[in-house]
Parts: sequence; C-alpha cells; structure tokens
Amino acid sequence: MPENNILEMRQIEIQFPGVKALDKVDFSLRAGEIHSLLGENGAGKSTLIKCLTGVHHKDGGTIILDGREVQPQSPQNAIELGISTVYQEVNLCPNLTVAENIFVGRQPMKFGQIDWRTINRRARELMRRFHLDIDVSRPLSYYSTAVQQMVSIARAVDVQAKILILDEPTSSLDDNEVKLLFQVMRDLKAEGMGIIFITHFLDQVYAVSDRLTILRNGHLVGTYNIEDISKVELVTQMVGKDMDTIFNLKRVNVDKDAPYMLSARHIGIPGQVEDISVSLRKGELMGFAGLLGSGRTETAEMLFGATKIANGEIELNGKKTDIRKPYDALMNGMAFCPEDRKVDGIIGDLSIRENIALAVQARRGFMHPLSRKEQNDLADKYIQALGIATPNAEKKIGELSGGNQQKVILARWMATNPKVLILDEPTRGIDIGAKAEIQRLMLEMCEDGVSVIFISSELDEIIRCSNRIVVMRDREKVAETDGADCTQEKILSIIAEGAQSAGGAES
Amino acid sequence: MKKRFDLSTLMRSKVTWAVVAEVLILLVCLIVRPDFFTISYQPSTGMLYGNLIDIVNRSSEITIIAMGMTLVIALGGTDLSVGALVAVSGAIALKFLRWDVTVYNTPGDYTVSPFFLVLVVPMLVCILMGLFNGFLIAKWEMQPIIATLILMVCGRGIAQILTNGKQFTTGYSPFRVIGQGSFLFLPMPIIITAVVVALVSLFVRKTAFGTFVESVGINRKASRLSGINAQMIIFIVFALTGFLSGISGLIYSSRIMSNDSNNAGLNFEMDAILAVVIGGTSMTGGKFSLVGTVLGSIIIRTIVTLVYYFGIASEATMAFKAVIIAVVIVLQSEPVRNYFSKRANARAKLANGGVK
Amino acid sequence: MSDSRNSSSRSLISSIMNPKFIMVYATVGIFLVIYLFGAAAYGSKGFTTLRTFTNLFIDNAYYGISAVGMTMVLITGGIDLSVGAVASLTGMFIAYGTSVLGLNPWLCIAFSLVVGVGLGLLMGWVIHYLNVPPFITTLTGMFLARGVCALISRESIEIKNETIDALASWKLYFMQFKDGEWVRIRPSAYINFNVILFLVMLLLGIYLLQRTRFGRNIYAIGGNEQSAKLMGLPVGRTKILVYGFNGLCSVLAGIAYALYVKSGWNLSLQGAELDVITCAVIGGTLLTGGEGYMIGTLFGVLLKSMIPALITFNGNLLSWWGKIATGLLLLLFICIQKIVVSSTERRNSRTKKTKKSKA
Repeated sequence: MPENNILEMRQIEIQFPGVKALDKVDFSLRAGEIHSLLGENGAGKSTLIKCLTGVHHKDGGTIILDGREVQPQSPQNAIELGISTVYQEVNLCPNLTVAENIFVGRQPMKFGQIDWRTINRRARELMRRFHLDIDVSRPLSYYSTAVQQMVSIARAVDVQAKILILDEPTSSLDDNEVKLLFQVMRDLKAEGMGIIFITHFLDQVYAVSDRLTILRNGHLVGTYNIEDISKVELVTQMVGKDMDTIFNLKRVNVDKDAPYMLSARHIGIPGQVEDISVSLRKGELMGFAGLLGSGRTETAEMLFGATKIANGEIELNGKKTDIRKPYDALMNGMAFCPEDRKVDGIIGDLSIRENIALAVQARRGFMHPLSRKEQNDLADKYIQALGIATPNAEKKIGELSGGNQQKVILARWMATNPKVLILDEPTRGIDIGAKAEIQRLMLEMCEDGVSVIFISSELDEIIRCSNRIVVMRDREKVAETDGADCTQEKILSIIAEGAQSAGGAES
Repeated sequence: MKKRFDLSTLMRSKVTWAVVAEVLILLVCLIVRPDFFTISYQPSTGMLYGNLIDIVNRSSEITIIAMGMTLVIALGGTDLSVGALVAVSGAIALKFLRWDVTVYNTPGDYTVSPFFLVLVVPMLVCILMGLFNGFLIAKWEMQPIIATLILMVCGRGIAQILTNGKQFTTGYSPFRVIGQGSFLFLPMPIIITAVVVALVSLFVRKTAFGTFVESVGINRKASRLSGINAQMIIFIVFALTGFLSGISGLIYSSRIMSNDSNNAGLNFEMDAILAVVIGGTSMTGGKFSLVGTVLGSIIIRTIVTLVYYFGIASEATMAFKAVIIAVVIVLQSEPVRNYFSKRANARAKLANGGVK
Repeated sequence: MSDSRNSSSRSLISSIMNPKFIMVYATVGIFLVIYLFGAAAYGSKGFTTLRTFTNLFIDNAYYGISAVGMTMVLITGGIDLSVGAVASLTGMFIAYGTSVLGLNPWLCIAFSLVVGVGLGLLMGWVIHYLNVPPFITTLTGMFLARGVCALISRESIEIKNETIDALASWKLYFMQFKDGEWVRIRPSAYINFNVILFLVMLLLGIYLLQRTRFGRNIYAIGGNEQSAKLMGLPVGRTKILVYGFNGLCSVLAGIAYALYVKSGWNLSLQGAELDVITCAVIGGTLLTGGEGYMIGTLFGVLLKSMIPALITFNGNLLSWWGKIATGLLLLLFICIQKIVVSSTERRNSRTKKTKKSKA
C-alpha cells in the first residue's frame, strides 16, 4: 500500500443484532480519485459509509485518515475530520434559502452578526461553478430535486472536505443533470479530492470511476481498476451468479384480437399533462419510456385516479368508467405500485401481513374484515410465491430491504387479482437479483391475462419486456412503437429530438 | 419456541411499564392506608363503596374521551376541543332541563322538553362539532392541533351564548341517574364507561377500522393509494371523539346537576392526551392500545387519590401528579426502555448459557 | 457594474416578493383592515387615539413577551404548554417573597429566573435526550409549576413593595411641542416598563433569529431535524437552549404580569399558553415548524388584543363574544394560510416541472 492514500479502512467489522453487517472489509481511497463502491442491497455499502460518517460505530478494525487513526463519533465529527456526505435523499432544510443551506452552521460573521451579503454572494459564485444561475435567496423547496441535489453537493464541497461521499446521488436526476454532476466530480477530482461514489447504474460507474470496490453479503469481493474488469464480470461478482441466467426473460405473446382492457382517450389536466390516449389489450405489457418529469408518472396517476382527470374519459373493459379516486380504480380491478415506494407505498410500522392484506381489505370495506386466518394465508402465500426474504409475516415492512418492500407492495396488489396493473419504476433502487425477479413476476402476470403498464427509466428493461412502448416527452405522448422491433437508439432519438426542439437546456 | 416468554420484548412494551407504575402506586396506597382496598356495600343506595371503585368512577369522563383521543392520536393528531365540547354538552342539557323558578316554587321533577332530547341533542351537537374538526382536517388537510384549537377557543364561548352566560341547576332525578345512579351495585358512570370501552374496542378491533386508522396515521398518502378512504376514516374518528365528549359532558353535568361553561371539562384534553400517552400510544401516530389508554386514565386518577391520602390540599395535587407522571414518562421513554431490554437480553443470554 | 447593480436590484425585489413573507403580510393586512374598521365604527369614541394604541401594548405586554419565546419554540417544531404556569409561579414568588417573607424583590426575581430557566432547560433535555414529545413534557412542566404555585399559597397575595410599586407606576409620556413648551399630548398616552421590556425582548428575538447561528439552527431544525443533524448542526444544544430561552421569556412575562396586576395568585394566567400560541399562529408561525417571524408575532399579539378592545368600545357585546371572535380569526387565518400554501405549492410544482422538462 504505497501511493497517496488519504483514507484507509482496514479489517472493518460491524455487528448488528443477529447479523454481521461487515466482516473484515478493507477499503482505500487515493487523493484525486473517484472510487465506486458496488454491491447489491444489503451487501454492506451503506454500513461501510455510515461507519465512516460516524452514524454507526465499528466493532473492529482501523480507519486511517491522512496517516492518522481516527474514529468518527457523529456526522458532525466526520465533517470536522473532512469527510462530507451527500445522501440519496436530499438532506437539507426545505424552508431555508439555497444560500443558507450551503452555509448554515458555519455562516461568516461580521460584528457579531451573520453576514448575509457575503453568504448570498459566495453561494451565487458556488452555484455558478456548478453551472447553475439561480436566485440563491429563494427557499430550497422552490427548486427541483436536481437543483436541490446540486445544492447539497455544493455544501459538501464547500466545507473544505478531503473526502466526498456521494451515496446514490443520481437516482433522481435526468441524463443532462447526471452529465453536469459528472463534470463537477471531475473538477473536484482534479483539485485532489477523493470521491467515493455509490450507484446502481453500472454505465455511470464506467463513465467516471478510476477504481471500484465490490462488496457482497458484508464481505469484500475485491478492488479493481476500471480498465481491468468488464461489465459482465462486474455483475457476476456482485451477484455471485451468471448474468444471462438472471435476464433470461422473454416478452409474452399477445393475441392480436385480445379485447381492450383499458382505453384512455384524450385524458389530461391543464398545466400538467395533456391529451394522452392509450389502449391496452388483455395480457399486454405496455412500457412507458421517457425522461424523469416527462409526464409518465402523471399519466399513471391519472389512470389510477390518484389525481383527478380534468378532460377526457377512461374506458375499462369496454365500459366508460368514472375514476375519481384510487378507491374507484381499485373497485374496477386496477392496481398501482407508485414511484416513490417509501413515501407512497409502504405503511412502515405495519407488519408484512397487514401491508399485503391492505388493498383487499380496502376493497371489502372496514365493516367486512378479513379474519386473522385469511390474512395469514394471504401473507404466507405471497411471501412464498414472491420469495420475500423475512423470518415471518409479522415483521414490520419498514425493516425490510428495498427489493423486499417492493415485492410486498406487488403482493398487496396481486392479492386483489387485478385486471390492469400499473407499475411505476418498480425496479428503481433495488439490486439486480430482485430486479430480475420483479420483471419475471410481471411477465408471469401477463401470461395469466393481466394487462400491465410498466414505467421505467432503464430502457433495456422496457425493451426486454414490453409488447408496445409509449414514449413520453415534455408532458406529451410523442410516439408509440411495437416492442419487438424497437431498439434503445430508436427511443433515445425520439426523446433527443424533442430536447433539441425545446431549445437547449435551461438549468 | 414461538410462545417462549420473551422478557426483552416485554421490557420494551410501554403497556408493561404502565402496569408496573399502577401496581407500584397502588402498593404505596396500601402502605399509607392498609384499608385502601376495602370495598363495602351500602344497602340504602344499593351501591358498593371503596377507594378502588371511586378511582374507576372518577376516571370515567377522561376514560370515555380518551377512547376517542386514542384513535385521534393514532391518526397522528390531537384533539384539543374535547374539553370545550364537554362544556357545550352540559350547557345544552341544562338548557333543556332548567328548573324555572318563576313557574314552579319547588325544585321538582320538571323538564321543559321530552327527556330524550336532553340526551340526544347534546350528543348530536357534539358530533356535529366533531365533524367540523374532521372537515378541516380531512378536506382542508389542516394540522389537527390547529383545527381543533379553533373549537377549543370558541367552544366555551358557544356554551356561554347558549345559556346566556348563566349557570342553571336542576333537580330532575332521571338526569341525576347518569352521574350519580347505580346499576348492578356499581356507580352508573362505571357502567357507561364499560359499555363505551367495550363498544369502541369491538368496533375498532373486530372490524378492520383499527388497522385503517393505524395505516392512515402512519402514511396517509400510501393508504389512499391503496384504496383506503382516508378522509372518511378521519371524519369518523373526529365525529366519534365529539360524540364521546358529549357523553362525558352529560356525566359531568349530571354529577354537579348544573352547567358550568367556564370550568366543565377544563384541562380534559390534557388529561385525555396524557392518558393515551401513558397507555403506550405514541404521539407520532400509528399503533395504538385501547387497553393501555384505560390503564393510563386510571393511573392518573390513582395518583390524585394517592395524593389526597397524604392529606395534601387539592390544588397542590398537581405538583405531585406532575412528579409521578414525570417518573412514569421517563420510565417509558425510549432510551430507558432500551436500556432495560438490553439488560434483560444480556441476562437471558447468560441464563441460556450464551446460546442465541 | 451593470451586472452587479442588476443582481442587487433583483435581490431586493425578490426578497420583498419572497413567498416566505406572505403570511406576515397577511397578518399585517388583516390588522390594518380590523383597525380601519374600528376607526370607522368607534373613531368618534376615541378608537384612533394614540392612547388606545399604546393601551394595546400596555394591556398585553406579558402576552407579547411570552410570545417571543413561544415563536422560537414553535419554529423548532415543538410546543410549550408550561408558559402560563411558569409566569404565574413567578408572580407567586415575587408576591410571596416580598409581601410575606419581606425579601428583596430583586432576589425574588433572580430566584424566579433560576427556576424558570432551569425548568425550561430541563424540559428541553427531556425532550431531546429522552425523546418524550414536547406536548407531554411541557404539560407535565405546567402541572408541576401550577402545583408549586398552590403549595405556596392558594390565596391571592397583594404585592406591597416600594421597588415594585415604583417600577409598576413608572411611565414615559408622549410629548408634543406646543406654544413654546413640551406638553403631554391629549388624551395622554404613555408606555411603561412592561412595554419597554416587551420591545427589548422582541428586538432580542429578531436579533437571535435572523442574525445569529443559533437562530438559523432553530429554523433548520424546524425545517428538517434529521437533515439538521446530518448537516452537523448542534441539534440537541439548540433545542435545549430554545426551551431555556422560552423559560426566560415566561419568567419575564410573569414579572410583567405581576407589575400589571400587582398581585400573585396561583390560578392567574390559566390557559394563557394557548392564547400565546394563538397569537403566534395568527402571526404566521407554522405549528409544523420551520416558518415564523417575530414581526408576525408582534402583529399577532396586537390583532388578538384588539378584539377585547373593540368589544369594550362597543359596550353592548358580552365578553364571551371575544372567545368566538378569536376562534373565527384563527379560522380565517388558517384559511388564508391554506390558500397561500397550496397556491405556492401549485406554482412551485409547475415551475419545477417545466424546469425539468426543459433541462
């Protein structure tokens, strides 16, 4: 271990009740390097990071920062040591201004008072460096998630950090924003900062990293230079299985004359999404492609009644149906797994059993309760069928991993025997194994005659599974193509055309 | 294996600590007055007398309200208006019942209106007020604490307007039965409370209503997206709490056979919330325990009784109440429970010879 | 040059138009409307005189002082129900200490400060480190303070002390220059020690909230406590100090009230905590935390105190209409808040979406 390592973690061990979260893991970071940390959910990435940022305390091993042994006690302490972190969820205060979010806790003072003028000036300069010309005196909540993410990076960078940890910063950014972020990362690298980068997007790993470290089940698999490992090898190492067997999925054949289950005609809400028409046959899987914010989620929400449509009409099973709230959709055999599973999906403090039985119960009304036995049967059935990893059905859903939570939400809706299932980003933020399983389930349901709408940011997923693909752009439906003869390039060019005609990026 | 006695989980349950607290307080009572637990029968009234009965009897008003408050808190809110509703309920009942001195010279069995109106109208008005709270919270998505603050501020004013700021008294004996009568040797309020607790528990636990309340309390948006009519759940819970405050108001005014717009139900909202929290329901919403709430309400009353027994003036009971409640709450607080459950864990491990 | 001028003028406009001030504007606006209404209806009875206006301050200074601390507590997302009881306790200490024990009033005040601030700090500690909800913690604090009041005495004690008398009767008259000499304006208007104490505390509150790291940490905690922790802000220390500061405000409010009524009584200021919270809410402070301004609170106090003033001027209305009017005011205010919040949210989500789609 010669070189200029600014951080060395040796033989790190962390014990949680019942499990060994990290078992003798080594990790090192050089100055001026972007180092990706990879692994499936539960592999120990977050635990390793939290050990470094003082959230968890290690049970064994040593952390050497700049040649000195340290033990971060708290997030505050870690910042003082020069370790800055940007989390997946924006961890700032929405009520404070952009400028203040960058400087709170270390505001420049003048005559015993906070020097607001300097704060705003420096914040403006800093945001310019990130190629963002925004009014820094507005509350943070005024801006989009992407801008908020940039602000949190700006804060992390401005504290004179030696190490910057980026924990899945890209999951809510679109392509241009990701590019901008990468530019900033490269700038920082050139200034000699060490960056730890965590992401689920393998392309991004290859786009910016110098080295990468793979963890699996709390063990170190290995550290590689980026040139020395291929994508396939990488995935195999992460999952411990062969990639082909995972994605050995085929789209389902649909009868050309199958009846339409769901048709929406010219539905929309002025100012949000307008004039969307889609028709879905029995047993068909329709993919929704498009950038984040292109109107995919809004369309799904309209179809399910999560937001009330202002114009147009929806036909279910050939009958015009008035869907004003999710309850109406549920009663008409529809199901919807929302995009943000933590906020809109799970009922965190309820058990897996209660979560699975929820939609069925909602349909029956609370005066006709499912007996405890019926609930148990339902829960056991789906825990087994979907392979939900849990000791029993009484565990709180909030304590499960992301992939398993998603499976429980899926089970909640499968239990209602839906005719139309809408899945909004069901595979986001979960590991490859669980991703493949969810896609397999989706396709199995199509085989059984369920019509599925599948929304995803990952085009390969959509192309692999869909019978037909709807492309959304700028809150409009711009194309509908057959799934069989569609390529990534074709969809990308449809999306890109629009981006150019809209006249460049504003950001 | 599954049924193994698990000390660690038990230590972590708030209800356990509520039971421990109640037992300790009762023990102190027993030491101070060895005849504390004595219950005697009085043939002339056909009622049983004793401290324990008195504690339960006197906690009735709070217990009844706290049933509704438990659901409100499980929804993640608080209802500050219950005390004011108690005053409104009493004011309306007495308005119907008032003994008009100018017509009758002796306080007799006289009522201006059919008796059932005396019972039904106050409850209906209280349900309406509860629905008003529910409307602000469900439809306008206001914070419960603010929405109910409105009626808390207005309510007593409304009670005063209804009675023109006067205090009426009545001697109408059927009304007296509610607060001072007896049934099956027990004071009537205990019977009413038992019925209310039973009915609410049945409604909540034998239907899926309780699960829906918890679900909405934990994540309203996700519940809605799962097809639960969250607005209706909120309406029902606040209307129920209004209704229960109405009953409580009738018991209160029947005890004093009068209305008192300024003092009836004063601080009831605080006591009810305290009862719920001592009973182990978290103020952040979610899982709730009705049994715990009943226990919480009884604990509060036991403390007051205990303090009386030390011969301390009634106004000063508050200080002692505060000290004992503080101890209970500290015992129930997360760090302390975790500490004890860890200790229990360690001991269990030792007992099992270190085997997990 | 032109660029910097441009950006500074832009920042001026945007800071005036900043959506975060809307609630304060609404409070001030409603205050003006009601004041003009009062002026139109009772102008002839002297509603518009300076004296009526200063009386609003004199009669409600103790609410104002307490509201300064309460606003801070509410901004952190907490609540403090003990303020009325602690103020009442302060009154008891001063009354009992000076009139019964014959102690030096300053000693009594110092003792009150130690007790009030100490209780506040203790409650803050329990809230932060034991994770007990603020509502419950401060409710217990309220019971405790009330109980101690009753232990001291259950009778109202008159305060007979020269220092206190002098302080209570000290007045600063408004003067005008007329016919070559300074004379009191007619009808005479004055402010007293309580008003000055209120204004000093208000300025201190503004300074702390807007000009110190401590104050900004308060906002950050109210915005998102978890984030504040991850940003490395001293969350625990700030919360404890806020409750301590509120304890200080409660004691000062108690002193002001004692000077105002010149007696101590164990049941005085019952329910004052909710009046104080109402003032803050009418002033635009969100009970969810993270939003609130001292100026708003000032106008909230004035607005709420104007209701009894109007009822007095009317002369025919009975006092309980005051409660109903306060309730309606609260309702009106929450409605405005609701409309403002939902309209800014709608606009925000729209700008967010267009931004994204264009990017």
